Amino acid sequence: MMEPILDISGLNLSFTTYGKRTQVLHDVSLRVGKGERVALIGQSGSGKTVTMRAIIGTLPIPPAKIEGGVIQFEGRDLLQMAKVERNRLKGTGISIIMQDPLLSFNPVLTIGRQMDDIVRYADVRLGSKRNSGLRKATILDTLQKVRLPDGAQIYDAYPMMLSGGMRQRVLIAMALLNKPRLLIADEPGTALDVTTQKEILKLLNQLVKEENLSLLLITHNLGVVREISDRVYVMENGHIVEEATRKDIFEQPRHAYTKKLMTSVLPLYGKRVRNFENNRQSDPKIEIQGVTKEFRGKVSFFSKKYRVVRAVDNVNLQIENGDIFGIAGESGSGKTTLAKMLLALHSPTDGQIKIDGRPLSNFSNSREFRRLIQIVYQNPGSSLNPKRTVTQALTVPLKFCGYDSTQIKSRISELLDMVDLPKSYASMYPHELSGGQKQRVAIARALSVNPKILVLDEPTSALDVLIQNTVIELLLRLREELNLTYVFISHDLSLMRNFCNRVAIMFRGQICEQGETREIFTDPQHAYTRALLSSIPVISEQEEQQKPKVTDAERQAVLASSTALK
Amino acid sequence: MIELSEQASTERFMTSRQMAWFRFRRNPAALIGATIVISVTMLAIFAPILSPSPQSAGSFVDFAHRHHPPSAEFWFGTDNVGRDIFTRVIFGYRISLSLVVGVLGFAVPFGVILGLLAGYFGGRTEFIIMRFTDVMLAIPPLAMALAITAVLSPSLVNAMIAITMLWWTWHTRLIFRIVKAQMSEDYVEAAKVAGASHAHIMFKELLPNCISAISVKISLDAGFVILFGAALSFLGLGVHPPTPDLGTMVSTGSEYLPEFWWEALMPGLAILYAILGFNLLGDGLRDMMDVEV
Amino acid sequence: MAFYLAKRTLSLLLVLFGLAILIFIIARIVPGDPARIALGPLATANQVLEMRHEMGLDKPFIVQLWDYLSGLFRGDLGKSFLTSRPVMQDIVGALPATFELVLFTIILQITISIPLGVIAAIYRDTWVDNISRVISLIGVVTPGFVLAIILQLVASYKFQFFPVTGRLDAGIDYEATYTGLLIIDSLIDGRWDVLGDALRHIILPSIALAAAGIGQVMRITRSSMIEVSGRDFIEASRAYGIPERVVRFRYMLRIACVAPLTILGLEFASLIGNAFIVEFVFSWPGIASYGVRTILEKDLNAVIGVVLVSGVFFVVANLTIDIILGFIDPRNRLREGAEK
Repeated sequence: MMEPILDISGLNLSFTTYGKRTQVLHDVSLRVGKGERVALIGQSGSGKTVTMRAIIGTLPIPPAKIEGGVIQFEGRDLLQMAKVERNRLKGTGISIIMQDPLLSFNPVLTIGRQMDDIVRYADVRLGSKRNSGLRKATILDTLQKVRLPDGAQIYDAYPMMLSGGMRQRVLIAMALLNKPRLLIADEPGTALDVTTQKEILKLLNQLVKEENLSLLLITHNLGVVREISDRVYVMENGHIVEEATRKDIFEQPRHAYTKKLMTSVLPLYGKRVRNFENNRQSDPKIEIQGVTKEFRGKVSFFSKKYRVVRAVDNVNLQIENGDIFGIAGESGSGKTTLAKMLLALHSPTDGQIKIDGRPLSNFSNSREFRRLIQIVYQNPGSSLNPKRTVTQALTVPLKFCGYDSTQIKSRISELLDMVDLPKSYASMYPHELSGGQKQRVAIARALSVNPKILVLDEPTSALDVLIQNTVIELLLRLREELNLTYVFISHDLSLMRNFCNRVAIMFRGQICEQGETREIFTDPQHAYTRALLSSIPVISEQEEQQKPKVTDAERQAVLASSTALK
Repeated sequence: MIELSEQASTERFMTSRQMAWFRFRRNPAALIGATIVISVTMLAIFAPILSPSPQSAGSFVDFAHRHHPPSAEFWFGTDNVGRDIFTRVIFGYRISLSLVVGVLGFAVPFGVILGLLAGYFGGRTEFIIMRFTDVMLAIPPLAMALAITAVLSPSLVNAMIAITMLWWTWHTRLIFRIVKAQMSEDYVEAAKVAGASHAHIMFKELLPNCISAISVKISLDAGFVILFGAALSFLGLGVHPPTPDLGTMVSTGSEYLPEFWWEALMPGLAILYAILGFNLLGDGLRDMMDVEV
Repeated sequence: MAFYLAKRTLSLLLVLFGLAILIFIIARIVPGDPARIALGPLATANQVLEMRHEMGLDKPFIVQLWDYLSGLFRGDLGKSFLTSRPVMQDIVGALPATFELVLFTIILQITISIPLGVIAAIYRDTWVDNISRVISLIGVVTPGFVLAIILQLVASYKFQFFPVTGRLDAGIDYEATYTGLLIIDSLIDGRWDVLGDALRHIILPSIALAAAGIGQVMRITRSSMIEVSGRDFIEASRAYGIPERVVRFRYMLRIACVAPLTILGLEFASLIGNAFIVEFVFSWPGIASYGVRTILEKDLNAVIGVVLVSGVFFVVANLTIDIILGFIDPRNRLREGAEK
């Protein structure tokens, strides 16, 4: 075993809120060797973030209380250290890459100013002093390290002027400014699109090597762990339940929880993949013909000019009865706008949409239309009104489709049955239900008036990974029982691989590729599809091998670079 | 962000009702506020029974006891014509509370509906309603109320009208802000997809999400309406004498400063007491329901 | 920045224009004949007719509105029936006193409430927080006139620290010639006696006027400091070892003071409104006490003038705050710039 830079042993920690004490960490022990990359993995609420904050010393005490244990950094216990001494290590000994590139910047100060403060006060703590020119040189140098070429321009920019990928890079630069020995990365890149995430992970790996860093990675994503760690700790409910090398954890997980985590990750390739076939008779349910949608924004208050954004650009699709049709794309690709046009929430600027053979514009205001197509939203916490009970939520579509009160009552209990919820839930409010249960209510609401088509807008991405599969199973069963057709909008290609029979890949408002799911995944034609597929973090070497190859030149051509100014 | 999610994970062990109760219990100020509000309401309702000298409420004169300092007999002392100030104070609460009911009874529904309309429909509707609200907000409320009552001739009803004309704006702003934020929630669109009418979405979906903010606001408002009414009558534009009104009493009493200080101070403190009650209650409700007003 | 300011100015001018029209309409639709109101119940029908003609009331409504608006543009607010002088002249004479009072009040509000709010947030849920909470509550719930009377009773009558009423002792002979603000002009002239006396006079009224705002702004400062302290970038700054004092006063306060400053602007109308009472109680010779007198005498032209001038006050105050906020929070001006 190599010499540890960080060595936590027997850490116990509790929170006291509203007079109730809850133990959050139980006897946590964890080591990071010099030059090692260690991942701490667990689901939200498992205690991994608290562990991280205990290390960097930003826990609010109270309500938090460290009840025992040792956190040794380079052989000295951080918890026993004098405050001044501990502060001296902040950013210089131990540094952190914050999770959210949107929220982790001070919005009212320029990037340069924020970075300058970090360098300046580190100097103050260490008793050295550099003049502002030298500090600026350090900052520009560090920006260079994270592969940001326009350092000087970034220096003068406010955070809101940078794109998400750039902000993530600047965040990394901030953490590196004072040459720390241990770097803690909190969910790096998870808030970004997969293609950008891929670049960020690559960068981190390079930096660890170049700068001779030790890395502690905090994440919930097994795919990320595989790309960027040597050793892994698994955390569940404040306990470390397993520790193993990267190889072992993926090939022979021992603890039941780790195994559960593994199986909950959907495969992209290999024999675990489920091929879904539509074996109903061909009968087009949705025809999208040359559809374009433009949004206009006024250029400025005084001028009459408009800036036109083409969100959806000449899209043609045909969706058959019984299809689970996936529309994939990263944020801003236009997939949501397309979905909203299917529901007649936006009308196309150009082109035509036919549902069940009838042009949408003819009957989109009728009850008939509402009975034909409905939607399940991504986040049931937002799509269910917090102030209305399950019954009230389910009543709305029924009432406005002309059901009378006795019909409504019997229909509601039928619906709850359908989505496997006990009848007693009818009088509950959303906050009394778990995420998965809420999503079931949302599905029941969408199904209440017996539609033929459901638009599923990322229906599982707000749910815990272990719940996701049960919701997918439910959707598959309902499709069979109720003879439904699904339009599935998502950025999650692994899920799409296992759930859809056909997919279309959207890129900057256009469909760049569409076809049978299996074909698209095994033999993608478009460079963007290949770049996208190759960016998805997977959890086995076999899958890694089967990903499509994409050259750097191709990648550059199709991807919005995370290093260019907005 | 991190802090919040940590707290959420510990709070999961409590039901929301337990939490609300915990917050209320931890907040004795809210209990005091509720007690004050109840006591003021009771005093006002049962004024004829509870007051030590009901005749003092009218144009009763007792020169033998004029300018009596506070004592066991006259708790708050007597005024320039020998009337019991305590009696007049609790009768004064009747005027204050009816002003509150009258003003808020009209201003709140009006303000709330305008706020809902502006927030829900947006666009031109929003522009017209919110710009009009902006204009109203630029008017010094007291000056406007003074001007209106002066022109309409001073009386309780006219004071009520004047205050109502200005009061709705704050509710419109509040509801507009909440509704605007709620509009980005998917449940609004979900209701549209379900075929719900505009009225349904505004009153059944959006309004329930405004209720806690409205109730906090009403509680805080009640105090300020009392203050406002008292200020109007303090300047001589409220209820006609000899009807006992708190503001008028302060105004009359202040002519006898500093010797007979209680004649201005006692009614003044009585106003303060009522406002304090409504404020503490409103604050308590705010903490309990965790809303921004 | 210029673009942002132009936009804000334009929308505030719109408010002012709307206000002018609104007031005119209200003044014309109130029951009762303005001429009759001006002349009182004893005037003959003929006198009223003549007065109607003189006031232009016999012209069509739209012409009246036009006359009124064009008059406004020239700075003509009509004649006051109470003083028989042009309203504009009366207002200009009374303006410095009010301006001085309001300015002093706002300075008092900002210098007391924001620091106290910050301290309360830092020492959250300790006795310091509780005390500041009580102070803010007292400020919010005490009616201005009650506070005024209590202050007079205690500070003037009982201990005789401060004078009861007025702006300057009758015995002092001084004419403010530069800005009309006694405190500033006496400084310019080096008249320390005048300065001292003016300060002694202004303290009680401005405390009475400031109290409500102090309470409110304190509370908002506290809660927005607490809100900002939970943001990710604050934790990041701490993790990078930025000293606590810098985090609090440079990072947090800069963002946290946006909400209280906005509220100060919004509540400015209420402040002017409360000045009506405070000036009245302390016999402060400003436009508010002029306003109260003219309102009681139903002097319509003067009332309209006073309300309009307070509208201008409101607009100027909000514009000032917008400028300050534009510097504090670059997002305000960047958002406009980004659209260009």
